[in-house]
Amino acid sequence: MITWLTTTNHKRIGILYMATTGVFFVIAGLLALVIRLQLAQPNETLVSASAFNQLFTLHGTAMIFLVIAPFGFGLANYLIPLQIGAPDMAFPRLNALGVWLFIISGLVVFSGAFAAGGAAFAGWTAFAPLSGIQISTGAGEDLWIIGLLLNAIATIIVAINFITTILLYRAPGMTMWRMPVFTWEMLATALMILMAFPALAAVLFELLIDRHYGGHFFDPAQGGNVVLYQHLFWFFGHPEVYVMILPYFGVVSEIIAVFSGKPIFGYVGLVLSAFAIAGLSMSVWAHHMFTTGVVANAFFSAMSFLIAVPTGVKFWNWIGTMWGGRIRLTTPMLFIIGFLLNFLIGGITGVMIASPPIDYHAEDSYFIVAHMHYVLGGGSLFAVLGAVYFWWPKMFGVKLSETLGKWNFWTMFVAFNVVFLPMHFMGLEGMPRRVYTYAATGDLPWLNLVSTIGALLMALSVMLFILNVILSSVILSSVRHGERVVEGRHGQLPDDPWGGCNSLEWATSCPPPEFNFTALPPIRSERPTWDLNHVSR
Amino acid sequence: MPILQPASLQAEDLRGVWVIFLATALVVAAFVYALIFYALIRWRDRGQAKMPPQFKQNAPLEIIGVIIPLLIVIGLFYITYVREVANDALHANPYATVDVKAFRWSWTFSYPGHNVSITGTPQAPPELVLPANKLTQINLYSADIDHSFWIPAFLFKRDALPGFPNHFDLTPNKIGVYPGNCSEFCGLDHALMTFTVRVVPAADFERWLSTHATGSLSSGAFAPQNATIARRANNVIVRLKRVIVSLSNDPEQRPKDASRRARRP
Repeated sequence: MITWLTTTNHKRIGILYMATTGVFFVIAGLLALVIRLQLAQPNETLVSASAFNQLFTLHGTAMIFLVIAPFGFGLANYLIPLQIGAPDMAFPRLNALGVWLFIISGLVVFSGAFAAGGAAFAGWTAFAPLSGIQISTGAGEDLWIIGLLLNAIATIIVAINFITTILLYRAPGMTMWRMPVFTWEMLATALMILMAFPALAAVLFELLIDRHYGGHFFDPAQGGNVVLYQHLFWFFGHPEVYVMILPYFGVVSEIIAVFSGKPIFGYVGLVLSAFAIAGLSMSVWAHHMFTTGVVANAFFSAMSFLIAVPTGVKFWNWIGTMWGGRIRLTTPMLFIIGFLLNFLIGGITGVMIASPPIDYHAEDSYFIVAHMHYVLGGGSLFAVLGAVYFWWPKMFGVKLSETLGKWNFWTMFVAFNVVFLPMHFMGLEGMPRRVYTYAATGDLPWLNLVSTIGALLMALSVMLFILNVILSSVILSSVRHGERVVEGRHGQLPDDPWGGCNSLEWATSCPPPEFNFTALPPIRSERPTWDLNHVSR
Repeated sequence: MPILQPASLQAEDLRGVWVIFLATALVVAAFVYALIFYALIRWRDRGQAKMPPQFKQNAPLEIIGVIIPLLIVIGLFYITYVREVANDALHANPYATVDVKAFRWSWTFSYPGHNVSITGTPQAPPELVLPANKLTQINLYSADIDHSFWIPAFLFKRDALPGFPNHFDLTPNKIGVYPGNCSEFCGLDHALMTFTVRVVPAADFERWLSTHATGSLSSGAFAPQNATIARRANNVIVRLKRVIVSLSNDPEQRPKDASRRARRP
């Protein structure tokens, strides 16, 4: 226990990150379940308006800052040194600071629920002056601001560590152009973090000054500017969207190649597209502000459309990777296919709302709620689960059950689409987001009911996943005590338990020794483990 | 399902953009889904021992993979740009003007020069009366924080921001009553910050204006009257009134450079 609290080992820190996001995911998911139950029928009174506003504020904040983004950091913490053949991260103690700041940031945000007046209720975007002291009078908003400031610092720390490690700690032979796509995507992600998160820190500090130290940055009564808040927030907020997806583009690229039995198709194109997305992501923020009437819509619309091109390249290359391969439909691969099918819908609706004439109707409606959940839920979250199933044997030396895993996938895939597909139509019919109740007009009642039923099914699917994790730890402890032998060597998986793996983490034991490698295989391409296991060819 | 059924002239143009984008979306999605499912079915592992070909790249194919999406988005951007410029342009001589003021959590609709002002509450949402087939210019303000003025039937919304008035044109072309709401989250009773839009024939609109030109109203109940003669007489008075009003109109009340686009603060 003490060793976990004081660890500076990148693998343990990675697992700390991912386990913490797991806990926050369950909490944020339960909040979402209450939201869906409140919206199951019109004029429902399960929770009050005030409680509902806190629920969706915490749900959004937690899923974004405490689940989807940091899971990527945890996975990268675990994988980057292994994938580039390094013994640890460049700054191990800074790394430990980062993970603990992250964990504390989550606790601070959630502690707002116990403050007088309840948790923050201004939404995860906390637009001023709604988040100002005149309206958000309670300490909940302050705890939200301070929590996210800690989160921003933790995130900047982790980004510095990734960049340094990737640039300076690669093993002999591991040139930049032999790095796995996941590592490349994390490099692009870290660069985006360094550009975007200081803007978040700045806007949160300004908000804090406005609230308590007599500032008037965003107070229109004192000559403050409400549009300035939106600019600063979205200057962070849009790159953040890609911080939550690029790591998972990396995950998809890794898993899809292994289970297609082929090298990744268009490696250079995938890497360049990651940097194209990272670059473009810095110039699209005001597409969240098309309806404000005070930004250059045409410019931000054009830049947003352009992002579809590198994203299209990724889809093209993933399909190219499957083309002509030998596709094994394991649980991780199923989740990745789920990612492709869901993310495509989210990506296409994303191109639609990049057009201001469409956004004039869709903005701030349930159409947007559907869009972002298809990207971050159907996309990122499916890749998270795929990654957990894929790297679990590497991390813990035991596979998760494939049978339960496939149940997990199919229930999740069906549930996800039942929850979020109807939301497109709710939005088009005129249901705004962030409402605790709605009129019983048109198709809204039955669409909402269907969506809520899907949410219950999704909860069931998450329970299957938790069951799978518990089951595997039971197996693991019986293996440790020598009561049981899992496939492969006695009590231990082979280095490459899936067969056909490419990157370097599969050339060491499951789990890897403390300093990762007892001996490194020669690195002559971007798939050293494959080369090692196919020497005769 | 009552979606994308436009009830204004501008909305018909906006709907055109929706239709083009939805059609493109369906074609692209169908194409990509077809490729994915073809690959999954054709090359699913059936225990074959042969190792699949280990090809890594195909320069012509990859270049096509850049060019096709690029061409699609250039086309989509062109359509977007043309329609957006047309939509955001302001008409110099609107038939009617309405000042809309958003506040937590309802709306005030006032008709400058007519001494008609309707203020709602979350429990009694106000009604915005607009003339059919006539161009109405909306001046949008916020009394406190960020709000957004959304009429789904017009496929249109615009934010009401404190310190940043917005101006836009609406030409409703279907008689009827339509729901509207605030779509920018604004706190506790955001969900109840609704209103209705009643689109009536221009003559009825004029009569309504004149019969209510007595001051502020707490609710904008629209009571149609059928006395045709009285209505005609009324219309004459209303038109005279309009002339007088337009002569005495305070120039500060109108957007200063109304022929230009509305996006200046």
